[in-house]
Amino acid sequence: MWFSKKKNNKELTLSIPSSTQAVGSNQKAALQTSLQQNIQTLKDTLGKSSDIIIREIRFGKEGNINAGIIYTDGLTDTHSLQNFILETLMLDIVEIELQEKASPEQNLISVLKDVAMTVGEIKEIADFDVLITSLLSGDTIILVDGYARSLIISNKQWVERGVTEPTAQTLIRGPREGFTENLRVNTALVRRKLKDPNLWMESKIIGTRTKTNIEMMYINGIANDKVVEEVRLRLDGIDIDGILESGNIEELIQDAPYSPFPTIFNTERPDTVASALLEGRIAILIDGTPFALIVPALFIQFFQSPEDYYQRADIASFIRLLRFFSFGIALLAPALFVAITTFHQSMLPPALLISLAAQREGVPLPAFVEAMLMEITFEILREAGLRMPRSIGSAMSIVGAFVIGTAAVEAGIISAAMVIVVSLTAISSFVAPIYDIAISVRMLRFIFIILAASFGLFGITVGLIALILHLCSLRSFGMPYMSPLAPFNVSDQKDTSIRLPIWKMFTRPRLISQQNRVRQQDPASAKPEPPKN
Amino acid sequence: MKKHIIVLLILSLLLTGCWDSRELNEIAITLAIGIDKVEDEYQITVQVVVPSEVSIKTGTGRSTVTLFQANGNTVYEAFRKMTKDSPRKIYPGHLRMLVLGEELALEGIGDSLDLFARDWEFRSDFYVVVAKNRTAAEILNITTTLENIPANKMFEALKTSDESWSATRGIKLHELIADISSEGKEAVLTGILAMGNQEIGASKQNVETITPSARIQYGQLAIFKKDKLVGWLSERESRGYNDIINSVKTTVMPIACPKKGTLTIEVTDLNSVIKSKVINENPEVDVNIRVKGNIGEVECQINLSELKTIHELEKIYENELKEIVNETIDNLQNKYKSDIFGFGEAIHRSNPKEWKRIKKQWDSEFPDLEVNVEVDMQIQRTGTINNSLLKKE
Repeated sequence: MWFSKKKNNKELTLSIPSSTQAVGSNQKAALQTSLQQNIQTLKDTLGKSSDIIIREIRFGKEGNINAGIIYTDGLTDTHSLQNFILETLMLDIVEIELQEKASPEQNLISVLKDVAMTVGEIKEIADFDVLITSLLSGDTIILVDGYARSLIISNKQWVERGVTEPTAQTLIRGPREGFTENLRVNTALVRRKLKDPNLWMESKIIGTRTKTNIEMMYINGIANDKVVEEVRLRLDGIDIDGILESGNIEELIQDAPYSPFPTIFNTERPDTVASALLEGRIAILIDGTPFALIVPALFIQFFQSPEDYYQRADIASFIRLLRFFSFGIALLAPALFVAITTFHQSMLPPALLISLAAQREGVPLPAFVEAMLMEITFEILREAGLRMPRSIGSAMSIVGAFVIGTAAVEAGIISAAMVIVVSLTAISSFVAPIYDIAISVRMLRFIFIILAASFGLFGITVGLIALILHLCSLRSFGMPYMSPLAPFNVSDQKDTSIRLPIWKMFTRPRLISQQNRVRQQDPASAKPEPPKN
Repeated sequence: MKKHIIVLLILSLLLTGCWDSRELNEIAITLAIGIDKVEDEYQITVQVVVPSEVSIKTGTGRSTVTLFQANGNTVYEAFRKMTKDSPRKIYPGHLRMLVLGEELALEGIGDSLDLFARDWEFRSDFYVVVAKNRTAAEILNITTTLENIPANKMFEALKTSDESWSATRGIKLHELIADISSEGKEAVLTGILAMGNQEIGASKQNVETITPSARIQYGQLAIFKKDKLVGWLSERESRGYNDIINSVKTTVMPIACPKKGTLTIEVTDLNSVIKSKVINENPEVDVNIRVKGNIGEVECQINLSELKTIHELEKIYENELKEIVNETIDNLQNKYKSDIFGFGEAIHRSNPKEWKRIKKQWDSEFPDLEVNVEVDMQIQRTGTINNSLLKKE
């Protein structure tokens, strides 16, 4: 029954965007010649917003030219407005015979732009819609009476966070800079690392109301053209009123919306973006968030930390194997514990069995309930720790340690072994360098505990098979999610479960970049060696 | 709608779950089982761990194990009857010891072992022993020190002794069943003895003193014919038996010095091969024993720095071992008439046709079997000192 309802919903949601578009097309109008009329239209459009400043001036030799300077307070650099716009118009231009220079071919606006304005980025437009967008992005607008055109001067400036160390993806050795909320700063951070003419950026504005700037970055000639086209298509297909964070974009363009696994990678590190671009991936930077998206994303990518490539290959390989191992623990440890202690006691060594049985004496709850209780308690603690104000964080950690540790065991409600298992699971889930994969595991863990409690190891095995089948069926922008493990590719194993030394990695991942695969030309001289004589 | 039904079906699977799940505090972890024959009924005794008493934290000083007992016409019946007494279901997956009463062993053990081989919950890696002069229940009723679970003490003691003393042999269920069912081989089992005051032995008091009043110890090997106990090997014969069937890992053996006094050889490697041949339509068996060892202890005046002496000692060892082995074989052939060495199997292996001929009357052929014993000994090291400390010359 609710299937048919769902279909109705779909039609409803489809009809909404078309109506907003209708509103948008209403506004699309050209500028008028009359200054007063233009200002009136502006006021009508923007309401009585207090942050829009409209300053009417008169300039010219006899002060006979009426003009309007319009800007958004807080988004515009008032200093440069004062020095380079108002002063120029009201003091310097008096000396210049503007009217003489203005000819039928070159109107006053163009003369102002070419001769008078001492600012860098300046545009001349006639479209009212563009004017509004520019105004709201922080540009200064100059309207002159008698002309149906306007000047747009880019002197945006607003208070923002500087480039600081990334907080979500930290490392010991490596660059300390992270993306900020400013798109231009972010593209600059990447450009500084990749001074390649082939690093191309495509701008898009998404969100009918937020008009969020988005940059799509890729290295032309390395990135797969088909994937670039696919990303472009999916971004253009977005029709929504607002984009506030990369997560919004991610949800709208990802391949598997119902999968617990992320098929789009995110990072707040410019070096990660640069290395992904070099591999032939495509980065999507969004204004207003320090998180950039990278596609296509593979399963193994979530186990790779940028630090893997900055420290020695041997330890990097070891740590990467450790991450896969702790992924397994985070996913299965409580489930295995429940399965073995309630179904397969014969798998335990006798001494361990007796010791576990001794701990369970007097515990009133079945192992399954015990495990669920502890896991949920831990999830609550974790969430509370994230959301609560910093200053009371320490109080919570004391209470938390007490609740899931000592007190629960001493009260005889929870067995000590279960506390160990849950703590180990909790710590293991934090080993993943990318938070997203840890979230996937968090939810799957509960499913596995339920399977274990119902069917024992048999349930876990079936669950694992289903999980692997699901992972193998996923695609990220056409790339098999589990590659290069499935489909298996020998050459790409160099950077999968282990990381070979950089002088051994001659080619880019095969499926990601099908063109221009060679990274180092001469395999023979790549290996560092002391001079022979 | 179809999707709907599938989801419901999957959910209903979860509802049926847990049907064979058991929490750790719902099972009685059984480490030792004793079987006796009492008035034509099986009497089963199980030694169950009291987990909270084993744990250092929660232990209150009461006994670490408890016994449950039940009688029944069959072993399985007795097991199920035990639930009348035991609050938890008997879980025998970690069984370490199966103790058979002497009474039962004399009557035949074959029938009572069926359950242990058939039931999926039993593993076959527990030791089977025979209680000498006692019932199995009495053996399981003695407290032990060091290992506070008696079943563990029995298991570990037999395991250690099996590895470092050639007169004991730990026999696990699957070996026993293979021996009983084999045509050319008879079974043996280790005997277990209870010594001292039984009444004190059953109480905590027993382990509170330095020297326990009652203790459990392994004794000689029990000889079986088919599945019936027919006699006991002496310590010397047990050693001979283990040497023949190649079940010695390491051991020590005292030998006489050339002049007077004794000297102990530490055997580090013993390898024995049983082969058969047919001469004039008569089967013969060769037992070849190769021994490597060190001089472990010298209690006589002897010059070990000479190679001649070493060779002399090797000869003495070879002769003494040969004597022990021959004596053991003689005794088995003439007194018990039980082929515990598997000579029949050896004939079967190398002369299947001959075996087919004599298989039927093997019991009468065995006592007359010609057995040639060869021993070859090599002394490899003499220890960290050369001659005896009291060497005077």
